[in-house]
Amino acid sequence: MVNFQPTEEQQLIRASIASFAQERIRPAAHEADETGFIPPPLIQQAWELGIVQNTIPEALGGAGDMPSALTGALICEELAWADLAIALHLLAPRLVIEPVLALGNSAQQQQVLPAYTGATFTAGTAAVMEPRFGFDINELATITTRRNGDVILNGTKCYTPLAAEAQHLLVYARDEGKVAAFLIPRDTPGLVIGEREKNMGLKALATYELILNDCRLPASAQLHGSLSPLLNRSRVALSALAVGVARAAFEYARDYAKERRAFGSAIAQKQAVAFMLAEMAIEIDATRLLTWEAAWKIDSGQDTPHEPVSAATREACLAKNYAANMVLKVTDNAVQILGGHGYIRDHPVELWLRNGRGFATFDGLAMV
Amino acid sequence: MKTLVTVKRVPDPETTIRVKPDGSGIVTDNIKYVINPFDEIAIEEALRIKEKQGGGEVVLVSIGGKSVTEQLRTGLAMGADRAILVLCEQPLDSLAVAKLLTKLVEKETPELVLMGKQAIDDDSNQAGQMLAALLEWPQATFASKIDFAADQKSATVIREVDGGLETIGFALPAIITTDLRLNEPRYASLPGIMKARKKEIKEIPVADLGADITPRLTVVKMAPPPKKEAGKKVETVQALLDLLHTEAKVI
Repeated sequence: MVNFQPTEEQQLIRASIASFAQERIRPAAHEADETGFIPPPLIQQAWELGIVQNTIPEALGGAGDMPSALTGALICEELAWADLAIALHLLAPRLVIEPVLALGNSAQQQQVLPAYTGATFTAGTAAVMEPRFGFDINELATITTRRNGDVILNGTKCYTPLAAEAQHLLVYARDEGKVAAFLIPRDTPGLVIGEREKNMGLKALATYELILNDCRLPASAQLHGSLSPLLNRSRVALSALAVGVARAAFEYARDYAKERRAFGSAIAQKQAVAFMLAEMAIEIDATRLLTWEAAWKIDSGQDTPHEPVSAATREACLAKNYAANMVLKVTDNAVQILGGHGYIRDHPVELWLRNGRGFATFDGLAMV
Repeated sequence: MKTLVTVKRVPDPETTIRVKPDGSGIVTDNIKYVINPFDEIAIEEALRIKEKQGGGEVVLVSIGGKSVTEQLRTGLAMGADRAILVLCEQPLDSLAVAKLLTKLVEKETPELVLMGKQAIDDDSNQAGQMLAALLEWPQATFASKIDFAADQKSATVIREVDGGLETIGFALPAIITTDLRLNEPRYASLPGIMKARKKEIKEIPVADLGADITPRLTVVKMAPPPKKEAGKKVETVQALLDLLHTEAKVI
């Protein structure tokens, strides 16, 4: 009954994404972090892999594949292994595609999805996070009021990836005590897309503050239905991305420790370092298993929205929470194993530590 | 244009290869296998030819065990139309491979056979040339650029030869073997992988082809290359010259 063997297709997908990640993304990561700029040819080449548009129905120009949280987790881990910021950029359109696929009526799907089936990368995004202490997706400060059948949105959002270039924006807000999502046209009066944020990590990813000041939308802008399954997909995505970042740091530190010699032997031979490496490997594998279990529960239909907390919600929350702590511990250990070299920007471990720190902060920044 | 592309399953070039203690072969446990990189270039070229000509068919062929399905599926995911797998568990030398391919070419009647210039496992660099000889077809090996005449009856190939480039023209059908700089193979896309699931991999038992595959070559012994020893530093040019003469005996 328990089986950890991905299907033949999933293995092919993982192999293809892993090659791309290793040969194209990883070599571009350092420069992208330094300059805050991802080369457009790289984004375009990644687009051609079809990771974003794959699940759009054939009738709307996509490939019509079933969304799978597990396949998504495999993809996320490989992309984030190469670079988290570039991974989040490439995956950003899914933040609007997946909710519209899952909850959108046919008019909303017609309105949004065909834009993402073209030959070139099209940005899309969702605004989930808010700049306040104790962010809780169920207690959003962005709120709705109703007037003559229209919806009025007020609030402030932050860490919204690619907002300045996004074709479609999805805004999460508290609506009559529940969390709801609204498709908001870029030219809506009262919508202000702020300056690009300056973050500790993810420097290659353009994120923005969004200010919603009496933004009036027709009622048809709302996606109806439970957002809970989507938030679970987001948690699985973030957990898998964290596993990817941690695996990158672990592999780099392990190889370094085998090469670096001190007092007559490789430092990997010293117990203090060997124990650290073993601990890192255990943590990464454990998090991957939590993530895969959550993904499997989503894919096997154990995410019934009617229950207060579904089996998938529980597992996805456990995975996400564990992953956020794990990635910080593992990337910090990697910096420690490299000693003085770990603090220098010539080695990527400090980049992974800065990027990994974000997982404890952000929510809803990726979706599978 | 109908193109036949040969695909060989080989150990990943990034894998560390270890020779078995008895010298009978390499340790195959836990080895990752991939498409021979030169064959991958051949697949890419066949796909580009098809895309440019706006039609045709790309047929992959391989010889080996059931496990080769993995590499054929990858090639189909890149965009090839269908695949043929000749089931054969015994090791084959280049001539046996060429003879089996001759039978397949006679069945499939392609205008072009694209092959990697060599497989990176045994580095023989023979099957393409032998196939051309057996079929009495023109051959262009080490291709770094391929062009076709408008009527698709002939081709011009730039070959990477020692000390430069050679351009040759010849009539089709023909054999072309690919060199490293011909193209950069694409990555299989997700939609491509999903489509590959439905594509045909036809299996043919090797006996059905009726080719003489009796081995002419036997591997007597495999040995790892000698371990590189630490170098030494010398003080003067004269000392270096002396050592090159007396110790290394190269001058």
